[in-house]
Amino acid sequence: MGITSQFYRPPTAEHIKAVDLTGRRILGESGIRITDRSCLDELRRAGAAVDYDSERVRFPGDWLDDILQTAPRRFVLYSRDGRNDVHLGEGKVHFTNGGRVFQILNMATGGSRRTMLRDVARTAALVDRLDNIRFYIIACQAHDIDAENYHLNDFYNSFNHTTKHVMGGCDHVHGAEQMWKLASIVAGGEEKFRERPFASVITNPISPLTIESTTLSILRFCSTHGIPVTCAPAPIAGATAPATLAGTLAQMHAEALAGVALTQVFQPGAKVLYGAVPSAMDLRTMSFTMGSVETALMNAFAVHLAKLYDLPIYASGGTTESKRPDIQSGVEKMFSSLLVAMAGGDCIHLAAGMLDSCNSISYEQYVIDNEVIGMIHRVLAGIEVNEETLAFDVVNKVGPGGNYVIEDHTIEHMMDEYFYPVLAVRSNFDIWEGRGRPDMLTRAHDMVERILEENSDGLLDRTVIAAITEAFPGLRNG
Amino acid sequence: MNEYESLTQAVIKGDIQLAVSETRKYVDAGADVQSILDKGLIAAMDTVGENFSTGRIFVPQMLRSAKTMQECMNIIKPLFQEGDVTTKGTVVIGTVKGDLHDIGKNLVSMMLEGAGFAITDLGVDVPPDKFVQKAQEVGADVVGMSALLSITMPGMPATIEALTASGLKEKVKVIVGGAPVTEKYANEIDADGYAPDAATAVVEVKKLLGIS
Repeated sequence: MGITSQFYRPPTAEHIKAVDLTGRRILGESGIRITDRSCLDELRRAGAAVDYDSERVRFPGDWLDDILQTAPRRFVLYSRDGRNDVHLGEGKVHFTNGGRVFQILNMATGGSRRTMLRDVARTAALVDRLDNIRFYIIACQAHDIDAENYHLNDFYNSFNHTTKHVMGGCDHVHGAEQMWKLASIVAGGEEKFRERPFASVITNPISPLTIESTTLSILRFCSTHGIPVTCAPAPIAGATAPATLAGTLAQMHAEALAGVALTQVFQPGAKVLYGAVPSAMDLRTMSFTMGSVETALMNAFAVHLAKLYDLPIYASGGTTESKRPDIQSGVEKMFSSLLVAMAGGDCIHLAAGMLDSCNSISYEQYVIDNEVIGMIHRVLAGIEVNEETLAFDVVNKVGPGGNYVIEDHTIEHMMDEYFYPVLAVRSNFDIWEGRGRPDMLTRAHDMVERILEENSDGLLDRTVIAAITEAFPGLRNG
Repeated sequence: MNEYESLTQAVIKGDIQLAVSETRKYVDAGADVQSILDKGLIAAMDTVGENFSTGRIFVPQMLRSAKTMQECMNIIKPLFQEGDVTTKGTVVIGTVKGDLHDIGKNLVSMMLEGAGFAITDLGVDVPPDKFVQKAQEVGADVVGMSALLSITMPGMPATIEALTASGLKEKVKVIVGGAPVTEKYANEIDADGYAPDAATAVVEVKKLLGIS
């Protein structure tokens, strides 16, 4: 599974190198601000240049290269049933959704409401059924859950509604621990979960150039427990990073490499993704614009920075500023997903379900994005050229004036040559009118209803649920 | 499992060679031709129709099965008493005078042919008298006309007038289509049928001829 990309390389090798060198200079001179005393000690022992007074850690180039050596070039984001394992570092592109939004659109009323635990369950069920979304990122905040059992509940409801790999942000190390205990029960033991970790964790540094103690403790916990993790910088050009895109990329690169390096200090060989969530401000108004064309460009460039180190990347794409599924969301999502995919990003997150600068989701948008991504997969697959596809024999056989409709050659290739959209309208005008003028959104709505109706029951085994409930009294079903 | 299962499966798969040899085998073994038709071929096409309508197979596969059935019919047809088997019908089809566009017309031709109709395709830029002459010659049940350009559409009523003048209009059904053609226009020019696309054209032609 996953599609190989081969075409798009926006920056020249020279430009990639220039950004890399600047990022390394930033790590060597400005360094990263870390306030956690024990972490500073650990980094000093590992050979980083630590300045306790200014709470700065500087990464000399040679030391950085040594530390990064142990980071795995390839690893797998496992699914629970083995049917959707995501193999990273093999030159394939995998799309996924994005997480932690606070509101959901109600397409029937045009309004919106705060997201709840049930939205976690339902978006997991949707992603489970949408083939082009390769794993699930816990989509939204559950406003109906208290902080104490927050990650216990959002991970549990994710596991219960999809067998695909589940990735989620954690607010504190307690949440990561809860997730690990929960996943170990689901896996049938800690060792089994370590062998095939089917869940992973997202953390973020604070741009510019700061990593918080909580983030460090989560990174340490994941690294030492075999849980794949990313520390994904989200610098905003013009606000928390330079206004120039190259400058933002250089700073982001420094932050991303620092995140990878830290995991390798905590546990050499820890599974880690180079993280990239660069974005830009609209400086006319200081509006944050995840859906800008610059965001897409920078993410495509970031893929090449990660490739320079042969590290799998957690990049961003398919973002939009639009408040609902409409023309603007269609345009912005397509170009941004396409650019990052054609650059060859291993994981492209945020690319499904999200609207409104990654502040909202809509169920319908997941289904629509699944189709957009399907088109992108077709683009990446390219045009196959060989003796069979050049079709000389069948052209010769049919001859002038004939047709190809019932030829063996047609039937043999009709499945693999074409992407067949499910939501896009392709009938002619009269038929379209006769069917009540459907569009992608109305069709998406129907599909959402169907999927959610068929998948309201949880997937976890009763005995597993019993074991989990016994271990965690604070568990709830969304 | 029906006694013609291997034939039924061959037709469903659209394997012309196998289906023809299976049909010969049953005929040579002295099987009743009516039962070969009903239990072997028609049963297969029922499954094909169902597979198509539920989206399990695509148009080329459906047409391929229809073509397979036709080839088998060619073997058993001579064995029926005259009048026992009715052919689906003969269609004369073309793009009207002044219009050189043939994609839509060709699609309709292919679909009708696949559905078992005998097709005489007059090509493009077909003047009214040519439609009339050919319809007479082959004893057409249906005359189909296509136009892509609004400026060539008047070729349709002109042809209908020519059919009326020759006395053929009462004997044939006229169906029209093409991008700018609408059901309203079809009614205005006194055509018998209209279809917005190739698949609907097959349904419409069957309806016009009273074939289920």
